[in-house]
Amino acid sequence: MKTLLLGMGNPILCDDAVGVRLARDFSRRLTHIPGLDVVEECSVGGLNLLDVFSGYDRVVVLDSYQTREGLPGDWYYFTAPEMGGAVHLTNIHDTNFATALKLGHSIGMALPDPAEIHIFGVEIKESSIFSEEMTPELEESYPRYSSAIFREVCKLLSDQPAGR
Amino acid sequence: MTQTIKIDPITRLEGHGKIEIFLNDDGSVKDCFFQIPELRGFERFVVGRPIEELPRIVTRICGVCPASHHMASAKAVDGCFGNEVAPVAHKLRDMYYHAHYIHSHIAHFYALAAPDFVCGPDADPTVRNILGVVSKVGLEIGKQVIRARALAQKIQQILGGRTTHLVWCLPGGVSKGLKKEELEEIKPMVKELADFAAFSLQLFRDVVLGNKAYVDLIVNGPYTLNVQNMGLVDENNAPNFYNGLVRVVDFQGKEIVKYQPSEYFEHVAEHVESWTYLKFPYLKKRGWKGFTEGIDSSIYCASPLARLNVADRMATPKAQEAYEEMFTTLGGHPCKALMANHWARLVEMVQNAEMLERYCADPEITSDRYRVIPQQITGTGVGIVEAMRGTLTHHYTCDSNGICTSANLIVGTTNNNAPIQMVTKKVAQALIAPGKEPNQGILNMIEMAFRAFDPCFSCATHSLPGQMPLEVKIYRRGDLYRCFRR
Repeated sequence: MKTLLLGMGNPILCDDAVGVRLARDFSRRLTHIPGLDVVEECSVGGLNLLDVFSGYDRVVVLDSYQTREGLPGDWYYFTAPEMGGAVHLTNIHDTNFATALKLGHSIGMALPDPAEIHIFGVEIKESSIFSEEMTPELEESYPRYSSAIFREVCKLLSDQPAGR
Repeated sequence: MTQTIKIDPITRLEGHGKIEIFLNDDGSVKDCFFQIPELRGFERFVVGRPIEELPRIVTRICGVCPASHHMASAKAVDGCFGNEVAPVAHKLRDMYYHAHYIHSHIAHFYALAAPDFVCGPDADPTVRNILGVVSKVGLEIGKQVIRARALAQKIQQILGGRTTHLVWCLPGGVSKGLKKEELEEIKPMVKELADFAAFSLQLFRDVVLGNKAYVDLIVNGPYTLNVQNMGLVDENNAPNFYNGLVRVVDFQGKEIVKYQPSEYFEHVAEHVESWTYLKFPYLKKRGWKGFTEGIDSSIYCASPLARLNVADRMATPKAQEAYEEMFTTLGGHPCKALMANHWARLVEMVQNAEMLERYCADPEITSDRYRVIPQQITGTGVGIVEAMRGTLTHHYTCDSNGICTSANLIVGTTNNNAPIQMVTKKVAQALIAPGKEPNQGILNMIEMAFRAFDPCFSCATHSLPGQMPLEVKIYRRGDLYRCFRR
């Protein structure tokens, strides 16, 4: 099963870097996994993601997330279908992720099944200021959430669905 | 692993596009404000770093137009090192940039503009998207769109080594040239893109120009502004996206000024309003005169339509034909109908493809003299390119060791901040009237006003859910009356 581990975010935009940092850390610890490619840094969305996802059976996305009531370091897990409703929003430049994925499938692109797109989102505090450092809150809780997410990623990667 | 998730995405605090409309007692529109977030601190972030690193850092400002920042930054850095650049490097950078333009314009036209026309401006938002377009025009066209984007991306990758976060431009040139075998690989892709540009133009003719109501909306709707135009031009006053002089032309076609990028500070200033972080550039010598239209207004547009408005001609023959057809249909040159920005993008795409063909036939393009090692540090550089969504300026200074001492950026969308404010208000005033209940259709018609500019806030949308939510709030007698969210 060909799997892509993808770090989403901007490494110089404060907490927005968290997905990139997780991907870099995980990459070093997952070299033994066969069929795993890691893209440590990706900041494209919409239609551009089709090119990134193309050719993979499974994608694991590490990203930042912001909600009204979450605390920095909280983390969430969902698959693309569960996320579909949440992203039905107007995109200023491109199309949203769910729409891009539907388009890709409808024209027969070699894309993973939406249920095989696994997304881990870490609650962040600040992503509108350029900085190579994350906020203290997110930095201090990094060991906790990175360990928890790493465990879940390992579980996913060890799960090889029958017939593949 | 299962968790209860309350998904309440806001992307970031105050981080969504917001339109606030204030109504008079009779239900007509009194005022309208369009607010977007702005990333802060970049100019400060780069001070103290080696100046040659900046083209590699600035690509992180934006995930949508990283190549625009890379090119503008490279030109500014060239300036800091005395502007000695290998001639073929300019050609290669320009070639890359044409492919980048095609990639971006395809996305905007098919994902954002076409849904309004193919599905209809008041169609249900759930179908008014690229899927709706494909369901109407056919899967085969959907495949062509994705393929054309991929080809444009591939050309960028071959030329620059990578697509999004370029590390290609160096002071005096580029880090790699174009090999003959790479050129041969690119040639058939360019041919396909030229065909696709012509196809897209024909699709526009069939779908938009073939519908009288749409033509009427473009020409006679509320989407017009009597403000000035800005864009880069070459020595023949044809559009040049990578290099040239900045030309400003009023909405009646008279040249106001044409200046070197290094003179930008004499001609552009930025006005600040207390209700938004984003500044409002204006023509400095005219002074800030408020959000006013008219021949003396200091407000300008810097957009695809503005670029064609400041141009006397296109740089290539097929694009020239498309340019003449567009302005003839719209009633003459220049044109004030902002919805024509969508058409202008397609005209530009024809020039982009033809320029790629021209470079493919240029015997110098595979030269191995693609970099000149700079011999001096002169300390100041201004790089201006046309980002897809407006004139982009990078201005740097450095000390005698090449360490950055200051940076100033005026990004494409910022140029259009004032026109977006003005046209948003104008459309709101035209559509929201006493006794006329605002609805989702009206919201989309207001969105169409600023969507024509292809404003780029993607740098503010990296966090999941990865989109820029838009909120329209309508106030009556000071209280929130209606709220629409996307």
